[in-house]
Amino acid sequence: MKKCFERLFNGLIKENPTFVLMLGMCPTLAVTTSAINGIGMGLTTTVVLIMSNIIISMLRKVIPDGVRIPAFIVVIASFVTIVELLLKAYIPTLYDALGLYIPLIVVNCIILGRAESYASKNGVIYSAFDGLGMGLGFTLGLTCIGLVRELIGNGSVFDIAVLPESYEPLTIFILAPGAFLVLAFLVAIMNKIKLAAGRDTGITGDCDKLCKACPNKLCGGRRYSEEETR
Amino acid sequence: MAGTVKNVLCLTLITLVAGVGLGYVHDVTREPIAQMEENTKLTAYKTVFPEAASFSDMPEATAGSEALIANAGISGVDIDSIVQAVDASGNKIGYVINSTTHEGYGGDISISLGVDNEGCVKGMEILSISETAGLGMKAKEPTFKDQFRNKTVTQFTYTKSGASQEFEIDAISGATITTKAVTNAVNAALEFYRSLGGGSI
Amino acid sequence: MIAKLIMIAIGSAFINNVVLSQFLGICPFLGVSRKINTAAGMGGAVIFVITLASFVTGLIYKFLLVPFDISYLQTIVFILVIAALVQFVEMFLKKTMKGLYQALGVYLPLITTNCAVLGVALTNVQKDYTILEGVVNGFATAVGFFIAIVILAGLREKIEYNNIPRSFRGMPIVLLTACLMAIAFFGFSGLK
Repeated sequence: MKKCFERLFNGLIKENPTFVLMLGMCPTLAVTTSAINGIGMGLTTTVVLIMSNIIISMLRKVIPDGVRIPAFIVVIASFVTIVELLLKAYIPTLYDALGLYIPLIVVNCIILGRAESYASKNGVIYSAFDGLGMGLGFTLGLTCIGLVRELIGNGSVFDIAVLPESYEPLTIFILAPGAFLVLAFLVAIMNKIKLAAGRDTGITGDCDKLCKACPNKLCGGRRYSEEETR
Repeated sequence: MAGTVKNVLCLTLITLVAGVGLGYVHDVTREPIAQMEENTKLTAYKTVFPEAASFSDMPEATAGSEALIANAGISGVDIDSIVQAVDASGNKIGYVINSTTHEGYGGDISISLGVDNEGCVKGMEILSISETAGLGMKAKEPTFKDQFRNKTVTQFTYTKSGASQEFEIDAISGATITTKAVTNAVNAALEFYRSLGGGSI
Repeated sequence: MIAKLIMIAIGSAFINNVVLSQFLGICPFLGVSRKINTAAGMGGAVIFVITLASFVTGLIYKFLLVPFDISYLQTIVFILVIAALVQFVEMFLKKTMKGLYQALGVYLPLITTNCAVLGVALTNVQKDYTILEGVVNGFATAVGFFIAIVILAGLREKIEYNNIPRSFRGMPIVLLTACLMAIAFFGFSGLK
């Protein structure tokens, strides 16, 4: 039981995929135009992550090592398609809001990364909690970014106007540059806190270290940084 | 060699199971998806024509619309379908016309337009849109949509300097392309409406 | 016809730039942009793979998925096809075109998990492009990626020895640079 909580804490705080590992940047930047979209994307990814972690953990002794990665991709892509069909049938507004980024969950490196580095080595229950923790951590990150962008760019929080009428929204925060800007400042704040605590800025401070420390052995950037230093 | 065979077999098996599973989910969700699309459409029809009680399909009615729209000098708009609006006592009180413009900023924009027998626009609703959040997406907001409501005009035009005439629409700031595309889609629908003879056929 | 292709090309390369406005392929954009040379190599490999993948996925969609009415399988089929394609291209280049392999080889395996490739394949289907239009769209999108990553690498080389506040070193300053580039690319929307 203790290990399950440890997995949750790990995903939410210690190895938060958005702020610490900086994984899955594409949806992080693309769909966070509002807090509600951030939550929607985060929870959709969480569902896929939990399901794929469970199945991969169950199959970990059956799948031969040589076809491990294609097999993972098939499992993940199946769950993404299932979730896509379900969203289309029961939550069409979310389906419309996330659009192309739903099928693109397949290539979200968090999912393949967890499959490779955790689920293929651990039991079913722990893998499920690992998926839950990582997914919630991702949801947390996306919601934070979405909140900031929506508040400054539209003067609202979860579609409820909170700033007075006289506030002229800075639309650029909802547009593409705003995504980069908000993420840059959030990471800088994280670095500042770590520096003040006298700790090394760790992986968020340096792209090379970031990529090498990444658990996702399949990611391009990681392989590249290995090639580079060899 | 035996290893390769095992690998291939295993991968094939997983893919097969995944394929069958997906086929099943697809079958299960097909009904709800169709239902949901139908509902969305019906809700849109109701909002653009609140007086109508029911809507009856008019298949084949859109034949020849392409040439008609092109003659009117409107480009990049297709008339998708048209339905007859019927009130509670069975009278034909107008039409709902669906059109799609291909000239939106982020792709196609589909709209639904309700027009009564006197040529008065009862309402405009966006069916599908993929414009930039914060700019073109404002087309979905009532401040923009309601500008078309309860107006009897032949053509709408958009302006950036504050609408003063009945046929004028305030452009969405920062999203002129979206405004133009939606206005064109509305105009094409109106053009097609007039070709129906203005009244009930 | 030609006009439409040109419109698609300009739209995908500049107006809706794949990284700076659609946020696809962010990982290599941020990760492999330290030096102009490597950025150009990565960009070249992306152009090669995306163009080829657009063509192959277009064929598969039109002649396999649509006739059998299984287009809901597109995500799973496309990702497998792309992965297999990249492997195949790598082997093919290694055997036949040594020069090209030396230029692009290192970068090829990095592209499998690049969401831009899958993103383009799905966009082609979503926008109902013909195979030719799809290939043009894929090529132009990848050219947009090339331009963006090379510019970013150039800027990063320039700011490498600048005195940046400690907490902004590394990722934050790169993201800020990307932010300014995205603002600059907004200028292209006037082309439409």
